[in-house]
Amino acid sequence: MDVSFLISQFVGGLSTAMLLFLVASGLSLIFGVGKVFNFAHGSFYLLGSYLAFQFINFFNNFWIGVICAILGAGMFGVVMEFLFLRRIYGRSEEVSFQILLTYSFILIIDDMVKYIWGPEYKTIEKPASLIDQLQLGGVLIPKYSIFILILGFVIVVTFWFILNRTEMGKVIKATAIDRDMLSLLGVNVPLVMTLIFGVATAMGGLAGALAAPLRTVTPGAGIEVIIDSLIVIVLGGLGNFWGALLGAIIIGEVVAFGILWVPQWASLLNFLVMVLVLILKPEGLFPQKKSGRV
Amino acid sequence: MKKQFKKLFLFLFSLFFVAQGYAAEVVKIGALYPMSGRGGLYGKDSEAAIKIALDEVHKKGLPKGIKLDVIIIDDQSKPDYAVSVAKRYITEDNVKFLFGVVSSSVALAVTEVSKNNKVIFVGTDHAATDLTANKFQPYYFRASNNTFQSMMAGAMYLKELKGWKKIAYIGPDYAYGRDQWMELKYALDKLGVKYEVVGEYWPKLYEPDYTSYITAIINAKPDILVAGFWGGDTVAFIKQAKAYGLFNKMKYFHPDAGGNYEVMAALGKEMPEGLIMSARHHVNWPDTSENKTFVQKFYKATGRYPSYAAEGAYAGILLIAEAIRKVGNADNTEALVKAMEGMKLRLPEDPKGFTSYIDPKTHQIVQVQAIGVTKKNNKFPPAEVMLGDFKVYDANKLWPDFKYIEYLKKAKK
Repeated sequence: MDVSFLISQFVGGLSTAMLLFLVASGLSLIFGVGKVFNFAHGSFYLLGSYLAFQFINFFNNFWIGVICAILGAGMFGVVMEFLFLRRIYGRSEEVSFQILLTYSFILIIDDMVKYIWGPEYKTIEKPASLIDQLQLGGVLIPKYSIFILILGFVIVVTFWFILNRTEMGKVIKATAIDRDMLSLLGVNVPLVMTLIFGVATAMGGLAGALAAPLRTVTPGAGIEVIIDSLIVIVLGGLGNFWGALLGAIIIGEVVAFGILWVPQWASLLNFLVMVLVLILKPEGLFPQKKSGRV
Repeated sequence: MKKQFKKLFLFLFSLFFVAQGYAAEVVKIGALYPMSGRGGLYGKDSEAAIKIALDEVHKKGLPKGIKLDVIIIDDQSKPDYAVSVAKRYITEDNVKFLFGVVSSSVALAVTEVSKNNKVIFVGTDHAATDLTANKFQPYYFRASNNTFQSMMAGAMYLKELKGWKKIAYIGPDYAYGRDQWMELKYALDKLGVKYEVVGEYWPKLYEPDYTSYITAIINAKPDILVAGFWGGDTVAFIKQAKAYGLFNKMKYFHPDAGGNYEVMAALGKEMPEGLIMSARHHVNWPDTSENKTFVQKFYKATGRYPSYAAEGAYAGILLIAEAIRKVGNADNTEALVKAMEGMKLRLPEDPKGFTSYIDPKTHQIVQVQAIGVTKKNNKFPPAEVMLGDFKVYDANKLWPDFKYIEYLKKAKK
């Protein structure tokens, strides 16, 4: 087994991890700030794929299509939070209502896309500039994978900056700690919650739009990505943005190298890692600190 | 007076037809298909094909003016739920036939309901060989190929294909994926083909990201990669493998479901040329009036070309209708079973000179298998690449294989 192959496998794992992170980060953000477990997050990924399909064909431009998908998924998220989720905050049955309400949106969005775009698979082509591959030494990497890796790191840095270096970041972190106190200080907490929900679902939409040229755009795809996303955020520590990144990288690399050494068990490895973490460190590798790091 | 007679005659004439209509028996068929999620396309396509078949059957007429009424319920691709629906069909709706089913695991559960209640189950889509082999029961019939038939034809193709020795396999990690590989190896051994397995890869069903599998396969350097995916998994794998240049490094062979029309349609011009594939029905083969008519009727009804699932559902309705015609009613289940055994059915996927038939011992439909190579063809948009240069394999050499059934019984004891 030569080194270039091992590097190639590592980069492959990293590329898988970054798409996984893009989906899981939104889920983690909503949970970290709003303590809302959005089961329907995968459906915003699905919605992003379909909106990208629609607008890329309409404008005949990949990038405009992706932007429309981000905005569309974000707006849908805002509407969902404003009209539905907001009504269950603070209730004694909030947790079970969250599960029921967000699960019902999986079914609604799944049927909605089938009604609007039909049951057949859709496809999106990569932008012309990112179709071929780069040969780096003996390692062949598709340009599109490099783009996703770079974009993932840009998102990580941007979020780090917003959360730690801006006034808005302080408000977001405070929302995660004590909503009542923040409200007494004059912050419009419901508005912050709605905006956070919109940003998180927009990230789901972005992940769906970027994954569409590599995957199948079909009803049901949202439910499938949510399972891997759940593993990632449980692994990283529920609600921890950075934990989600680390969780995604661990899962991506464990599967990438598991395929080489135990191919028969490769599809079980991510679950195995999650089980081990839950037994040894049930709070996840990077549990959310009470001091408010998101 | 003459006018009054005329009125009386018209009144009696219309009364006769009303009475006929009232007396006409309605035979209920309880269909189970996924109507949502990933499998929803196959459910919708089957529904459209059932309507086409019913129109044809009723136009031709059934004995005693019998009308077929197909009820379709979403089986959610869940065996336990499908079993409860099947039982309700039998006890509450009094269906004479159970019908359809895409998922093999659902079919394996429903066939038990059929056996226990002695209600005929006509399978139209699922491909697990078990149902017409080690899990055979007398009330089950299948109107589409099983995976063994595809894999036997695949092995014959590989025997003729020169310049390969090292082979690798990738397929979904459940019965459908595992069985295909077992069957292909069995068929290659049976034909005396020498080969070396350099890798076996088992991603989960609906795996969204194959990147690490693709780099591992490229490193294993097989001469030929056999794939056992279906539907959207094929689409995702081909998109991702193309980005790594996998198809320039090895031959790609996908004999059961790779050549499904819905895959060609989803990939459009992204579908690479030179891939060797097949499907249980092709919209562009055979070039017969039956196939052209079926494909055009489907297109007219839905605005899209049919996936392979549609032809299976169409065949299933024709099978039931022919059995009722032969028996004269739909009440005598044992007589219907006898009528279906060995029944010949001229179907859209039959080339000139061959008619599909039900093998009397296994209740499996016996059909030719055509394996082709992808090449540019924009006659069936949105697909821009379709299968061509078909090689056709004799149906009678594909099924039944009783030695394999014995092998399967021992392997799955």
